[in-house]
Amino acid sequence: MTRTLLRLLGRGALYVLLTAASILMAFPLFWMISTSLKALEEANAPRIIWIPSAVVIAAYRSVLSDPDFLRAYFNSAFYAALALAGTLISIAAVAYAFSRLRWPGRNLVFALMLSTMMIPAQALIVPQYVFFNALGWIGTFNPLIIPGYFAGGAAMIFLLRQAMAQIPRELEESAFIDGASHLRIWWDVTLPLVKAPLATVATFLFVAYWNNLLGPLLYAQSTKLHTLPVYVAQLYNINNTTQPWPTIMAAAVLTTVPLFVVFFFAQRFILESVVLSGLKG
Amino acid sequence: MKDSPYLFTLVSALVTVLFIVASCAAMGGLARLFVRLAGGTRRRQEEAYAGYFFAAPWIVGFLIFVVVPMLASLYWSFTDYRLGHALKPVGLENYARLLFEDREFRGSLVNTLFLTVIGLPLQIGVALFLAVLLNQKLKGERAFRATFYLPVILGFNAAVLLCWRLMLNASNGIIDQVIRSLSRAFPVVSYLNRGVIYVVEVVNGFFLGLTNGNFTLLGKVLATGFPPENRVPMWIQNPLWSKMAVILLMVWICGSMMLIFLAGLQSTPRELLEAAEVDGAGSWKRFWGITFPLLTPYIFYNLVIGMIAALQIFEPVYVLYRDNQPLAPSAYSMVYYLYQATFRFNEIGYGSAISWLVLVIIAIASIIQFRLQNRWVEYDIR
Repeated sequence: MTRTLLRLLGRGALYVLLTAASILMAFPLFWMISTSLKALEEANAPRIIWIPSAVVIAAYRSVLSDPDFLRAYFNSAFYAALALAGTLISIAAVAYAFSRLRWPGRNLVFALMLSTMMIPAQALIVPQYVFFNALGWIGTFNPLIIPGYFAGGAAMIFLLRQAMAQIPRELEESAFIDGASHLRIWWDVTLPLVKAPLATVATFLFVAYWNNLLGPLLYAQSTKLHTLPVYVAQLYNINNTTQPWPTIMAAAVLTTVPLFVVFFFAQRFILESVVLSGLKG
Repeated sequence: MKDSPYLFTLVSALVTVLFIVASCAAMGGLARLFVRLAGGTRRRQEEAYAGYFFAAPWIVGFLIFVVVPMLASLYWSFTDYRLGHALKPVGLENYARLLFEDREFRGSLVNTLFLTVIGLPLQIGVALFLAVLLNQKLKGERAFRATFYLPVILGFNAAVLLCWRLMLNASNGIIDQVIRSLSRAFPVVSYLNRGVIYVVEVVNGFFLGLTNGNFTLLGKVLATGFPPENRVPMWIQNPLWSKMAVILLMVWICGSMMLIFLAGLQSTPRELLEAAEVDGAGSWKRFWGITFPLLTPYIFYNLVIGMIAALQIFEPVYVLYRDNQPLAPSAYSMVYYLYQATFRFNEIGYGSAISWLVLVIIAIASIIQFRLQNRWVEYDIR
């Protein structure tokens, strides 16, 4: 009797703890939305105002009528979509080579690929900058997009390879006997069987591209090429006497909406491919 | 064509795809030729062709974007190369300047050390705690899990970081306002708050002293003694606190580590736990006696990944401190310093030296961790 009571109490405490942690974790998002709907005075008030006394959408109006914001939005979407397409397809091809094909030197190349996971990408930005400068690519989107086409992202290749390695051989062997080429088998047999891992990889890649700040800062400095993170970061100006917080937060909310949408649809894939998601974003 | 950046990039992407397809075919053909010359069977030749055809994008990319740049930067690190200027070899000068003269670089090293020694254990601790809470077969576990993971997705977007900048403000930021009103209402919270402030400022004063060999700030903190009642954390206004804000963010995005721990927890053999329960071991004892040792490989993995991540922290420093120059260096990560030092005057030679030093430091730290792991990581308890 006391035992079950204790158990029940324990459960209750557990839920309280988890709910408290959830509120803390999600609080910045709540605060972002709440601030975006406040009047300027309320957003900068030196006292706590949890929710705006009156919902004001002026901030959204001003952000959405700013052509620079709209262009930054388009630029981000253009960059993320184009980079994602090339990266995803090339990663899928390379993962196929590492999991479904037997070729001389495979283990060596695979070990080499794994070892590149220890190299932070940023350690290569200096020579890459020189390279892109020589190509005349500074001030274009190319340096942000083109490298991904060469199967950028060892961790993502690894994740997909692990998933592909679990497919039984018989499926593709029967297709092979029917005379299908490897390209055909890869596209028609293998890829449909790893849809969930592909969705996971696509999500991680999209998030990484959407959030990228260093790349656009280096290569896309002109206003015409600004992506969302660069645009939003410069909305805050230390020289302002009062920061236009509602406007900044309205832009922030609109910037994060695609991330929410993607996460909402992909979360069950991501949270299940637990072990391999070691690298953030 | 460069008038439209979109068209230019679309065409470039198309050319890249053609280039990749061509190099796939070339690499496959080359592999087939080699196998034939080595006397391989027809089947072997076809296998080699297919393998290299599909792997070619990575191999070619590895050569273009990793091997060649690394070799080039190794060479440049021994020169005074600046973009648009002729270069001349300077021997070890860059490295000497970095190691013995450059205070900001030393600062970024100490900052990374600070984040690794103080921030990383906190981050891993919270991740482990949340994972253990989630691993109790609860209703709604999925929703909690998704909530804890969400910051990983949003976390380092500049937009979300700006929201943190708003929240961390000392005068009207929500965090300090809550601390203020709680301290006013409950004396216990006030003492706790001031105690934490004191400890944080002493520790940070010490680390700041390490970076510039000047311990006056630490002296000031010690001279002031226990903080007065009206004190709140000065997250983004004070060099004693700048790294703490970064740590707060690290803890906030602990969701990916949490997932890894969850995987570890779920692979803990049930029989072992049940046997211990029959033997009368309480849940506390079961955790430290069985679960925790089995989790050490996962902790080790998170340590290695977390350390590399700590030296790459870029976005938080940019968004929170970029425009606050006197304070910014107190939060520089190594990658941020690399960006700052290289592209201020396009000093490629110097930046190359920093890159290589960063790589060497990662290698050394990883080797040390892999050496130490035998002492505490249990791969074979069963």
